[in-house]
Amino acid sequence: MKIRQHVEEMFRDVPDSDEKQSLLGEMIADAEEKAADLMADGKDEEDAVNKALVELGDLSEIKLNLMGVSPRRAGGGQRRRRNNLLYSVIGSLLIIALMVFINLYYSPDTIWFVYPMFGVIWWPLSVFLHYLNHRDGDGK
Amino acid sequence: MAISADLIRGHLDAILLRLLMEKDRYGYEIAKEIGLRTEGRLEIKEATLYAAIQRLERNKLIVSYSGQVTHGRARKYYKPTPGGRAYYREKRLEWLAIKDVIDKILEDETSENQTTR
Repeated sequence: MKIRQHVEEMFRDVPDSDEKQSLLGEMIADAEEKAADLMADGKDEEDAVNKALVELGDLSEIKLNLMGVSPRRAGGGQRRRRNNLLYSVIGSLLIIALMVFINLYYSPDTIWFVYPMFGVIWWPLSVFLHYLNHRDGDGK
Repeated sequence: MAISADLIRGHLDAILLRLLMEKDRYGYEIAKEIGLRTEGRLEIKEATLYAAIQRLERNKLIVSYSGQVTHGRARKYYKPTPGGRAYYREKRLEWLAIKDVIDKILEDETSENQTTR
């Protein structure tokens, strides 16, 4: 019964579904049979169970399959890019506002703030381009 | 020489389909059969095996059913669909072609140590 506990523990982060239950049942039955075979070859029970569990290998691909086409990752990417865009827009607006203030406060006769503004504007523009390029990629 | 699953990744599907075409089998039976036939040189981890089975099943190349009880449990057996059989034949020809091409270059040991100046 130790095998059942361990396998269930390994899949605790996967939401419950019929598919999961059926796969778990299969894995547990297979691992138990493997442990029984190993014991028949002369291993003691603890060794056999451990070996059967370790040799299950890397379960990440199976988990991803069970969870479908990981909706978390696709949605999260979109949200993260939107945050990046928002950050760059607010950041550049603050810098421009600061320059406008310095301009009007110290040298109101010369309007120079427009020139560095063109430089700063590349920041949100490039983030926006990145956002546009990836929006279609996530849609499918 | 032991061969890791990574090296045969693209051909694991063909191996599984072949074993299932001989007779319907369940998961551990497949793993055991692979170990037996290759004298333990090709070891497929269970995780790799289940992932491959999931993929084949999702692509409708194999189907599963609950078979008879062995070792006190109802086992889930797999068998290939007609599509799976066709896919196997295709992959088999592909493998024979790859093997032939690589052999042509790597098997020729006579010219191995020649240096061109």
